[in-house]
Amino acid sequence: MVRHRAKLTASVMVTTSALVLAACGGGDDGGGGSDEGEGVDLEGKDVGAMDDYDIGVQFTATEPLNFSTLYNEHPNYPLKDDWLFFEELEERTNVTLDLTVVPLSDYDDKRSLLIGSGDAPTIMPKTYPGSEEPFVSSRAILPISDYVDLMPNFQAKVEQWGLEDNLDTLRQQDGKFYVLPGLHEAPWQDYTIAMRLDVLDDLGLEAPTTWDEFRDVLEAIKEEYPDDYPFSGRWNVPTPGGSMLNILGMTFGTSAGWGFNHEQWDEEAGEFVYTGATDEYRAMVEYLRGLVDDGLMDPESFTQDDDPAIQKFANGRSFAIGTNAQTLVNDYRPAFEDKNPDAEIGKIPLPAGPAGNVINAASQLENGIMFSADAAESENFVAMMQFIDWLWYSDEGQEFAKWGVEDVTYTTGGEGDYQLADDVDFVSLNPDADKHLQEDFGFSNGMFAYGGSTELLHSTFSEEEQEFQETMAEKDLLPLPPPHPFTEEEREQVTLWETPLRDHTDQATLQFILGQRDLSEWDAYVAELEAKGMSQYIDVVNEAYERFESEHG
Amino acid sequence: MVTVDPTKVADRIARPTTSGIQDSRGYRVFQVFNTVALLGVVVVTLYPFVNIIAQSLSGESHIRAGDVNLIPRGFNVTTYELVMSDSMFWINYRNTVVYTVVATLIAMVLTTCYAYVLSKRNLRGRTFLIGVAVFTMFFNGGLIPNYVLVTSLGLKNTLWAIVLPNAISVFNLLVMKSFFENLPTELEEAAKIDGLNTYKTLWYVVLPLSKAVVATMILFYSVAYWNSWFQAFLYMDRAELFPITIYLRNLIAGANSAGAGLESSDLAQVASNIQAVTMVLTVLPILCVYPFIQRYFVSGVMLGSVKQ
Repeated sequence: MVRHRAKLTASVMVTTSALVLAACGGGDDGGGGSDEGEGVDLEGKDVGAMDDYDIGVQFTATEPLNFSTLYNEHPNYPLKDDWLFFEELEERTNVTLDLTVVPLSDYDDKRSLLIGSGDAPTIMPKTYPGSEEPFVSSRAILPISDYVDLMPNFQAKVEQWGLEDNLDTLRQQDGKFYVLPGLHEAPWQDYTIAMRLDVLDDLGLEAPTTWDEFRDVLEAIKEEYPDDYPFSGRWNVPTPGGSMLNILGMTFGTSAGWGFNHEQWDEEAGEFVYTGATDEYRAMVEYLRGLVDDGLMDPESFTQDDDPAIQKFANGRSFAIGTNAQTLVNDYRPAFEDKNPDAEIGKIPLPAGPAGNVINAASQLENGIMFSADAAESENFVAMMQFIDWLWYSDEGQEFAKWGVEDVTYTTGGEGDYQLADDVDFVSLNPDADKHLQEDFGFSNGMFAYGGSTELLHSTFSEEEQEFQETMAEKDLLPLPPPHPFTEEEREQVTLWETPLRDHTDQATLQFILGQRDLSEWDAYVAELEAKGMSQYIDVVNEAYERFESEHG
Repeated sequence: MVTVDPTKVADRIARPTTSGIQDSRGYRVFQVFNTVALLGVVVVTLYPFVNIIAQSLSGESHIRAGDVNLIPRGFNVTTYELVMSDSMFWINYRNTVVYTVVATLIAMVLTTCYAYVLSKRNLRGRTFLIGVAVFTMFFNGGLIPNYVLVTSLGLKNTLWAIVLPNAISVFNLLVMKSFFENLPTELEEAAKIDGLNTYKTLWYVVLPLSKAVVATMILFYSVAYWNSWFQAFLYMDRAELFPITIYLRNLIAGANSAGAGLESSDLAQVASNIQAVTMVLTVLPILCVYPFIQRYFVSGVMLGSVKQ
């Protein structure tokens, strides 16, 4: 039975993506024209819409409306029908939502199934950019970029926050994008390294600001504790060393681990090159090889589960570990409470690398909303777009979704100074309160509240985290690669190359780092990539880039 | 009356002679190894379970520090209280019980009838009927067509979407068929002479003699339905219709995804021992079913029923 189930799950993705094409191939083209906003016929589709809807205007449908919506059920705050969120939403906007509840554990599978069977709800939030791609050619989802002129708040934020280039990364080969992303005013870098600040103090060390300093600090700790590895990393699923390689790769001017992209934009040459074969990638691998070779980094950092990594850190056998804001508070500090209450643990600012003191700008786009193609046929289409614009993109809507109703769930003491009501708790800001902002009211729900202005984002951060984010805000942004969307045939072709290329890159990366393969064999490794279709892959990418450039650039 | 002198018996046990039946040296060595090996299997099987129980009763800091093995450290039951106070947990629990009972009942009726029919060697069209069943073992309509079928039959969001589509497991059907085939036909002939029709023969003669296979099938089906989540995941759109397996699966996924930290300001409040607690609560009832069913696993019930 267990095997049976595992097989079924695995086959969901394969079967659905294949069948989506078969099931929906015959649909019409969703009413889209060749260019944004052109040729879109909205006549008779404005039932319930406001004539004077604009920035700063509260959206209220002129008649009661109901939209079917996919809902991602989060176990921390199970859906309740009587949430104040829904009640207040109806009061303000005259809109009710007909929810299809899907457990978070298998949200993507169910979404594929619903789209494939033609049973998809109109609004499908919590869609991460990239996951809309399998559905694009089936025409089952709406090219939403055709309709953004119905969304004044969305457009204003894209312009104000300079997100045009970010949006371009979402475009498919027809020049349109199919997912309406969540927008952040500024990039948000959460992941970095946590260190035992008390140990640094004892040894008279400063928190490192570059990867070279990080190495020096580890060396100093190693001298004091020669039997232990000062640094033991975590987050090795689904990619070994996923998080560490991600943040390291970023600052070395390449991409690796969780953030690995096959193609890397070479600004000077004006073309894409294969990431795993670049000098930047090699420099990153050499850096890690050095750490492991000198006993500064636990070789298990790339393979162990999170729990042993945390245990080593908590038992004082390692002094640095990967972290984000949540794990710092939820995993590390509680583990020290009994054993070593004097231990002081904190995030260090993401160290700078050869690429400069930089972070990735891609984090300005969040997961967003995908729409069923039928949506544009509805007589309420314009009203729906106004509703989406208000709830997800207006300042008022974002504040409402995150903080709730003023004087009920929160109070403000002026601009950006949000305080939870006395009887409401959220992220342990009010630990003694008997109600919870998410569980009992339905606000700060990951479905409806994300992104937004830095001020709003930081309003729920601890002081410590706000300080960290301030140092992050001083960093430069890495340039975004130009868009290079594939045609359907190209995507099929590159998918065949991607798996062996990725596997080989991952495998060789680990072998080099752990010393199972000498770095002098780097050229041989590049030749192996070549044999697996690296150049052909990059040719397709560059072709796609040039085509997009000439057609839409 | 044969009298036994206890001292003589004791004597013989204490000093085995070379005459008479006794365990060979090889057999005794085998027994020692067998015992050791099986004890090893017991340890390997029980350890994770005991560990989960220990974790479910331990304090959070001890779990994070990796101190918990077989004995709970920093004893606490707050998580039990927390999970049990979630009304959705009990709603989903009740769903699982209802789905399991109804589905097992339907599956047993259908499988028994089908298997009994197939066990009749002289039945015309028997090969075709077996073929139909076996065909579904290797081929099916695929996920989306199935979904469209169930949806258009109006079964979505009802109990029937879970209990009907997979009511007959072909594997179980074939096991039952071969069991029925091995029943002596003379018994059924005798029943027929005594005036029982086909259904009464099945009910009064065949089934009472098939308690072993019926108990096995009930166990197979109920455990499968108890553990299943996929059907419910496909066809249920509301949380109050989910079985406990989806609740548990989602709880674990929630705890893990919070670690990946992709969701803004969405701090993980799920302690890792919530998983252990929920597992214990979910496993216990089905575990309790085993001892009650086990007594039907008897062999030799038909010993001496037919004289040949």
